[in-house]
Amino acid sequence: MKQIKFRVIIVGIVFTLFFTIIGAKAMYLQIFCRSWLSEKAANQYEVSLKSSGKRGTIYDRNLREMAVSIDVTSIAAHPPQIKNPKAAAKSLAKALKINRNVLAKRLTSEKKFVWIKRKVTPKEAETVRNLNIDGLDFLREHKRFYPNKTLASQLIGFTDIDDNGLEGIEFYCNDDLKGAVSRYTVLRDAHGRGFEAENITDSDSRGKNLVLTIDSNIQYIAEKTLAETVTKFSAKSGMAVVMATGTGAVLALAHFPFLNPNALNEFDQELWRNRVITDPFEPGSTMKIFSAAAAIESGSCSPNSIFYCENGAYRVGRHVVHDTHEYGWLSLQQIIKYSSNIGAIKFSTKTGSESLFRTLHNFGFGTKTGIDCPGETAGSLASFKKWTKIDAGTISFGQGVSVSALQLVAATSAIANKGIFMKPYVVQAITDHNGRLIKSFAPSKGRRVISEKTARTLTRIMQTVTTEGGTGVNAALEGYSVCGKTGTAQKIGKNGGYANGKYVSSFVGFVPSEHPKVAILVVIDEPKGQHYGGTVAAPAFKNIAQKTLAYMNISPKSKTDGLIVSLGSKAKACSFRIY
Amino acid sequence: MAATAEKGTQKKSMTRDKQDIQKVRKPSLQYDIALLFPVLFLVGIGIVMVYSASSALALKKFGTSYYFLKKQSIFALLGIVALVVSYHIPYRVFRSLTYPLLVLAFIFLIAILVSGFGYSAGGATRWFRVEKITFQPSEFARFALVIYLAYSMNKKKDRIKEFKVGFLPHILLLGMFAILIILQPDFGSVVILGAITWIMLFIGGVRISHLLGSLAVATPIVYFLMVSADYRIERLISFLNPWQYSADKGYQIVHSLLAFGTGGIWGTGIGGGYQKLFYLPEPHTDFIFSVIGEELGLLGVLIILGFYTLILWRGVSIARNSKDVFGSLVAIGLTTAMGLQVCINMGVALGLLPTKGLTLPFLSYGGTSLLINMVSIGLLMNIGASKKMAKTKS
Repeated sequence: MKQIKFRVIIVGIVFTLFFTIIGAKAMYLQIFCRSWLSEKAANQYEVSLKSSGKRGTIYDRNLREMAVSIDVTSIAAHPPQIKNPKAAAKSLAKALKINRNVLAKRLTSEKKFVWIKRKVTPKEAETVRNLNIDGLDFLREHKRFYPNKTLASQLIGFTDIDDNGLEGIEFYCNDDLKGAVSRYTVLRDAHGRGFEAENITDSDSRGKNLVLTIDSNIQYIAEKTLAETVTKFSAKSGMAVVMATGTGAVLALAHFPFLNPNALNEFDQELWRNRVITDPFEPGSTMKIFSAAAAIESGSCSPNSIFYCENGAYRVGRHVVHDTHEYGWLSLQQIIKYSSNIGAIKFSTKTGSESLFRTLHNFGFGTKTGIDCPGETAGSLASFKKWTKIDAGTISFGQGVSVSALQLVAATSAIANKGIFMKPYVVQAITDHNGRLIKSFAPSKGRRVISEKTARTLTRIMQTVTTEGGTGVNAALEGYSVCGKTGTAQKIGKNGGYANGKYVSSFVGFVPSEHPKVAILVVIDEPKGQHYGGTVAAPAFKNIAQKTLAYMNISPKSKTDGLIVSLGSKAKACSFRIY
Repeated sequence: MAATAEKGTQKKSMTRDKQDIQKVRKPSLQYDIALLFPVLFLVGIGIVMVYSASSALALKKFGTSYYFLKKQSIFALLGIVALVVSYHIPYRVFRSLTYPLLVLAFIFLIAILVSGFGYSAGGATRWFRVEKITFQPSEFARFALVIYLAYSMNKKKDRIKEFKVGFLPHILLLGMFAILIILQPDFGSVVILGAITWIMLFIGGVRISHLLGSLAVATPIVYFLMVSADYRIERLISFLNPWQYSADKGYQIVHSLLAFGTGGIWGTGIGGGYQKLFYLPEPHTDFIFSVIGEELGLLGVLIILGFYTLILWRGVSIARNSKDVFGSLVAIGLTTAMGLQVCINMGVALGLLPTKGLTLPFLSYGGTSLLINMVSIGLLMNIGASKKMAKTKS
């Protein structure tokens, strides 16, 4: 009994010792490790979330939606809270059709937050919800959707998964379109469910809307015609631009092959660019109108000045320049009408390199137009001081100079606009999420590049191109007189020289001649069989012009001045003068 | 039986046992406040903390946040009744109940393994289930083992130093229990049973060489059991380095430590903890101490530890002052059982020991555990009271 009493005390002491150790450890944790542990704990249940407001809508000029953001669910996970990452990865991979191993790696990572799959379909979200996996999070995000699919897709561009614009208007106006990013803290239980979220006001963070100058009807006309033409001539690609001559507003900007930004990855990256603006090409004979402008503006020639066209072959230094037909004496006007290269050299020689360069430069060649689109090319127009004799000759008919399709149509538009160059633009207004106008963009002031008289003279000359015997007769419209110019440029091959059988066929012009409303350019790259601009591009021009004029209610030989289009019911107060 | 006791006062020829019964049965029976108050306090705190810890879980699982609160309150009431009843049963009665208790314990342990009564949770069959009532036989087995060891060592106290008499039979019985419980599997309970046996043998006067020898034999067995189950190795690894495995194996320990750290000195207040919100596994049973650490802070932790110390020393004192070896051994056995559970549960919660699924006496949710512990307290008080009575008599 005595021994028991003694040993019982020992047991008591040992337990007391254990209790003391427990108390000491508690003190250590709760006093000394307190700040470190509580911070770490807070990190686990406080999740800082980024919420971006809805991206603004892009409308065409008739307030038809071109790009919209729709609410979608994204699935994320908090890896430390996933009890059985392998099993979770397996079932998630099956439900969402994603790679299981990649998922397993993500779910076992040290990170506090990983994406499982973003912007899932409602059905997928429902399936995953029903899996009841702890530690998953369902976040509301916005997905960019282009309801018209391929319409004007290269112009509008697209966004990445984080709603940042990557190309086109989406990129250029990203700051306006993008919703404000708000950060907020949510306390979460281990299942990832928020239990004390702050309220987020959505309307404030929404991005602004854009109203484009594009008219989706004209855009559709241009795209349809382009598709038909490219297909008919088995060409590589095509571009078409329709611009309001008085303002510089781009009404249509079409590319073929089409691009559907809703399924971007199914398309070649080559198609992603807005090539009208980014890609320079040798214009060929369309350049002659600007050489003629230089000749007339400088006063060295009149439309009736005559030049000997050497019967189709003319030696300049070591090079021989050919015409497609053999001509003898032609007036300047005829040189344009029949598109004689030799004639162009002749009258440009008379004009002089400096005057030619000045005029071309004034028309905007060699400099960016400053359109509100990303990635614009300036083209290339070397200073006349660097020109050799052959350069001065070839530039006059569009070789040894490169331009963007936009530059070409804008310069042509300047002739239609009585010699005043208007800076092209595609965004005409910014509105808030209620459709109220925030900012509108008026057409630029314009820059006189040639005198009104010269412009009138050129208009007359360009009119002859589409008359009987002219290269552009296929562009002639019934009931309207058409000004235009064909272009057929041999493409530069890989080794620097001109490639055989590869052409860029184009037609640029404006209608109606008397009171021009729209300037139109059609460029067809590498047509097969036919390659003359007058055969390939001119009919397309005609088609676009005809339908556009009909759509715009411009009656034959009419003198209608303009249309007023209101910006929809929500913004009746503001209207835009267009065309 | 009461009548027998009344008569017994007049009879000089009655046995010592009968005398004791008579003394204990006297209406002047005093409640041991120093033991009762800490116990009732802990049970009360337990109900509050079970509610706080389990409400979110209960809401998710059963649609009402009161699910565990209701059940624990009923257990507490039953527990108090059980305490009072067992207090009024002379502890010597348990001596004669030794073998029935043992047999019952074995029946339960075997039943859950072989019959359809076994009820599994978390991959282990640890509960016996009839209708809606679940019952944890290993808790009962612990109680039966303490009674048996006290009975047996008391009987053999003169030959206790002999290996075959004082040591081997007790170890064999322990082994039988251990095998049945390890099959559930419930490694934690086996460790506790082993430790109780070892300590009681030590108190009972078994040779130190036998005890040390048994340690030498047990260590490889324990080691083998540890490495035989993957989850036990994982627990060990995570215990040694919880932060490195905080995402999976160390998850429980890490969140428990975070709970303590967040609580600080004063705690976040009852209901103000976050770790119970599905971060901590079993916040109302195995990890209730972590919830206490977070919500009641160091202050609450130390107060609760203080009450356990009080209970421990009351137990030690009762064991020391018991007038017979049986009472002494029962008292120290029950005290040891509780003390071990407290140490292991708190040690796990604080990251001092590898994870073991053991409840915290009086505080954790769980009917069997609470009832057995309340009966133990009643029994302890009875042992203590009978000594007091003896003293006042003499």
